[in-house]
Amino acid sequence: MSVKAFELVLAVERELLMGDKPRINIECIECCGKNIYIGTNDCFLHHFLLEEKSSSKGNPAFAAQKQLQRHLGLKKPVNELKAASALNRLIVLCDNTIMVVNMLNLEPVPSGAKIKGVVTFTVNENPVNGDPFCVEIGVISVKKRTIQIYMVYEDRVQIVKELSTPEQPSAIGLDGYFLCLALTTQYIILNYNTGASQDLFPYDSEERKPIVKRIGREEFLLAAPGGLGMFATAAGISQRAPVRWSENVIGAAVCFPYVVALDEGFITVHSMLDQQLKQTLSFRDGHILQDFEGKVVLTTTKAVYVLVPLPLERQIQDLLASHRVEEALVLAEGARRNIPKDKFQVMYRRILQQAGFIQFGRLQFSEAKEHFRKGHLDVRELISLYPLLLPTTSTFTRSHPPLHEFADLNHLTQGDQKKILKCKRFLISYLSEIRSTEVANGYRDDVDTALLKLYAEANHESLLDLLVSENACVLMDSVPWLEKHKKFFALGLLYHYNGQDDAAVQLWMQIVNGELHDDTRADLYEYIVDFLTFSSKQDLIWKYADWALQKNEKVGVQIFTKRPEDEEKKGKLNPDNVIKYLHKYSQAIILYLEHLVFEKNIQKEKFHSHLAALYLDRVLQLHSQSETPSEELSSSRTKLQNLLQKSNLYRVQLLLGKIKDTDLKFECAILYGKLEEYDKALHILVHQLKDFQAAERYCLWASEDKDPSYRQRLFHMLLALYMDPSISNDALVMAAVDLLNRHAEVFDAVRVLRLVPESWSVQLLCPFLSGAIRESMHSKRMSQVALGLARSENIIHKHEKMKSKGGPIFLSEKKGCQLCHNTFSEPEFVFHPSGIPIHTHCAAKRNRESPSRRQYPNVNNHT
Amino acid sequence: AKMKKPDVKLVILGDMNVGKTSLLHRYIERKFKDTISTVGGAFFLKQWGPYNISIWDTAGREQFHGLGSMYCRGAAAVILTYDVTNWQSLVELEQRFLSLTDTANSDCIFAIVGNKADLTNLKAAAAETGEERESNGNLAGAQFPASPKMHKQVQPEDAVALYHRILRYKMLEEKCSPPAEAMCFETSAKTGYNVDLLFERVFDMVVPGILKKKTEAMSNTVDLEDCSDMQRTKLGCCG
Ligand SMILES: Nc1nc2c(ncn2[C@@H]2O[C@H](COP(=O)(O)OP(=O)(O)O)[C@@H](O)[C@H]2O)c(=O)[nH]1
Ligand SMILES: [Mg+2]
Repeated sequence: MSVKAFELVLAVERELLMGDKPRINIECIECCGKNIYIGTNDCFLHHFLLEEKSSSKGNPAFAAQKQLQRHLGLKKPVNELKAASALNRLIVLCDNTIMVVNMLNLEPVPSGAKIKGVVTFTVNENPVNGDPFCVEIGVISVKKRTIQIYMVYEDRVQIVKELSTPEQPSAIGLDGYFLCLALTTQYIILNYNTGASQDLFPYDSEERKPIVKRIGREEFLLAAPGGLGMFATAAGISQRAPVRWSENVIGAAVCFPYVVALDEGFITVHSMLDQQLKQTLSFRDGHILQDFEGKVVLTTTKAVYVLVPLPLERQIQDLLASHRVEEALVLAEGARRNIPKDKFQVMYRRILQQAGFIQFGRLQFSEAKEHFRKGHLDVRELISLYPLLLPTTSTFTRSHPPLHEFADLNHLTQGDQKKILKCKRFLISYLSEIRSTEVANGYRDDVDTALLKLYAEANHESLLDLLVSENACVLMDSVPWLEKHKKFFALGLLYHYNGQDDAAVQLWMQIVNGELHDDTRADLYEYIVDFLTFSSKQDLIWKYADWALQKNEKVGVQIFTKRPEDEEKKGKLNPDNVIKYLHKYSQAIILYLEHLVFEKNIQKEKFHSHLAALYLDRVLQLHSQSETPSEELSSSRTKLQNLLQKSNLYRVQLLLGKIKDTDLKFECAILYGKLEEYDKALHILVHQLKDFQAAERYCLWASEDKDPSYRQRLFHMLLALYMDPSISNDALVMAAVDLLNRHAEVFDAVRVLRLVPESWSVQLLCPFLSGAIRESMHSKRMSQVALGLARSENIIHKHEKMKSKGGPIFLSEKKGCQLCHNTFSEPEFVFHPSGIPIHTHCAAKRNRESPSRRQYPNVNNHT
Repeated sequence: AKMKKPDVKLVILGDMNVGKTSLLHRYIERKFKDTISTVGGAFFLKQWGPYNISIWDTAGREQFHGLGSMYCRGAAAVILTYDVTNWQSLVELEQRFLSLTDTANSDCIFAIVGNKADLTNLKAAAAETGEERESNGNLAGAQFPASPKMHKQVQPEDAVALYHRILRYKMLEEKCSPPAEAMCFETSAKTGYNVDLLFERVFDMVVPGILKKKTEAMSNTVDLEDCSDMQRTKLGCCG
């Protein structure tokens, strides 16, 4: 496919050059700035100034002004021309001789510097020797198989090197030390400094004219077999793929990123980036094609043309306009090096965006996405293609000139619903991907609102995720949309996110009540309760708790019982208010009080009393309803008993008053126990309930955490009840025996033995007796152990004391008493507090003499 | 796009129509589509880990034969491709293409690839991916040959034998070179059979060479060991 990369513009018309003389032809040409030099077959040199100007239509145009023409004094054509502008010289090849002429007046230099025997020559544009006052040229000599290197100065020439080649050379290129030569059968690279040569590839130079064109640092473009344009580096490798020319190419040049070639009928333009033929211009009688400082100049035998490149951006836009995305991108990428970085970036991003939209139009979403991403597309450009997605508050307007040709999605898909759906799915994935990246910076509102709308419309599960996480959905725009798509639950979430909890709960309540339909959540009621539980807004709680409790007390009360632990900080609900509020919900209030008493462990009499009273009411109520004990009743009783036993806070008397006249005997006994009226309690258990095991358990319970004598007292009390001579019966006797045998260790054995009637056999009480003996043995041994331990502890202390008093005192006849200074004759002595031994009699005497304290002579004085 | 400097070069050689372009296209674009006869040569840059690998697709036509040596100059790996249904295409590798590799690196790696395996091998024919069939769309793309459509002319043993002859030609010691089993493939550009395996194995084998080149460039020293190695190999072969 073609692209318009160049425009062919006439620069010097035939009229200006040769008038109507038919036999005069252009032989060679040179451009240097605005100067054009032309050599003709009649040995003339012409000099023109070329002004670039635009025609009325904005197309490029040139005006040439003739400066000078000069005959070189021979009858031969001027073969080649090269400007050495730094020297102000033209190097001219005519009649196998190179001469040097002045660039301005075209006169040969006075010194008459010449090189004879030259077939063709080339200028080294990248000489190793960087002397600015000379030009290095490579020459194919008329001498067989000979290359020469010369330096051309202002008015002299100097040979540097002469080399011979294996075959006759016919074309020459030069860069650095590297000569690129077309020989008879092949191209070679020849290093004129080292003499090393490198074969490139075979080419029959006799069959077809070879082309050697230096295109850059150490790189050449060569005509290859089969009409190829091959690239070769000085190292002998190809770094770019070849381009395909016709078989008869006359000349070639590079104007990045294009290779331009001329054959008999056409100018062809290939891209170096993808090797494709991009443009063909018809050009009859083509004679020369050469590039000068980036400008491509062509001639016929009669006139001069310039191939003016179209601005790259225009070329790219042309490609994009014909939807040739890949080529456009390759071209843009290729231009990266030739355009200032920031300018390139702006241009390139826009191209990427345009490319993305073209691909989007083809539903090539992954490619489109990649280009949108790389091109830093303002996502709103994309969103705006979808009708109604951008919020009404959005300030977005599409960029101008537009990035694409689509009015909207309907236009793009021609109303194809399947395609529309695909586009929507793509936008969903794209927006959800970028919404939390910097791509969305600055217009999160637009992105999130669009996403919400897409989710709602597509019934997408991520709608809820969007709304429960941080988002920027615009409320005003989203509400009607969610309503339209009956996403009431989601709408509630949106209200909540925007701080409108009341509206949220109101809406959800309507769903639960069946006034609105949205089955997003089957457990919406529980959800609302949970919501209220974790809400810190008290007025909201009070407003909706009634509704929640009326639906289900057990669940509803969780609003109060499951409140988060950290609520303290935010101002927590006052339990008294809650209790007052829950008054009318018999089940809920019990659950709440249980929460306070058992979970929160609140030690307040009124909660405990209240709960106990409620338990009691419940038990009594159930009790009165049916004679036969139900499961509910027994569990209620267990709860009541449990509370009565475990709690010490409730008002015993109050409850006792309520219970006394009912047949909740056991509970009554517990209450007596709380009052420490154990005789009454035990009496109930033994005589009214006749539940001896319960009585025993009772004693154990009531004496829990108390000292052993307390327990002993209770057990004796129970024993006394059993053995009450006034109401003696067998069952009680057996109970007494069992009690004794089971709890032998608790009783005071001596007291028991006094109580036991004579008639009881030892066998009967055997377990008790052995238990009692064991107990007393045990306590005896325990006290012995304790005694032993105490003694040894005492010894340890003594030992410590001795140790801290110091070592032994040595006493001998040589040692004297510090008081009388006589020696010791007997082992007795007194150990003076200052650590010296003295005679016992001296000590006694001293005590007698001075009862008050006195300074003793220092021991050290006598050593 | 293709302006990055390649770290290493890989060249695909073989007679025209064996499927060189198709193989490369399958690997790079993950598709099989009609190719036009390659003119002169073409190349792709493949990013492989931190490296850029340039892969040259050459023209099998006689007319462009002379360019082969230049493409091979400095190559780190050469993929010699034949068509399993065409015995002559294997013969050509040895007669016409092997000498082009004289300009390749001395430690160049060789792979021998018999393409169009789908025509003779049921497994290769069935390798086509689901995604591929879908994108092909038409029924023809989805049908499997009930039996191999064409006669297989080149057996894997023939390729292995060629591989050994190549090592001998290159005077490379057998035990210092990758084994034949690792370097002889049967592929199908049409179904993608073994295509990734081929390229990735070759890439993995050239990576150490890149590293070596880089460290050598840094230390700028001559690897004496390498030279003596070469000499030994040559002596061994002449004897
Ligand atoms: N059946 C089959 N045909 C193939 C395969 N690879 C290539 N072809 C066909 O063989 C012909 C030549 O392929 P091409 O890649 O141009 O070969 P090249 O000249 O070596 O580059 C084309 O018609 C391809 O469709 C393959 O694996 N299986
Ligand atoms: Mg091909």
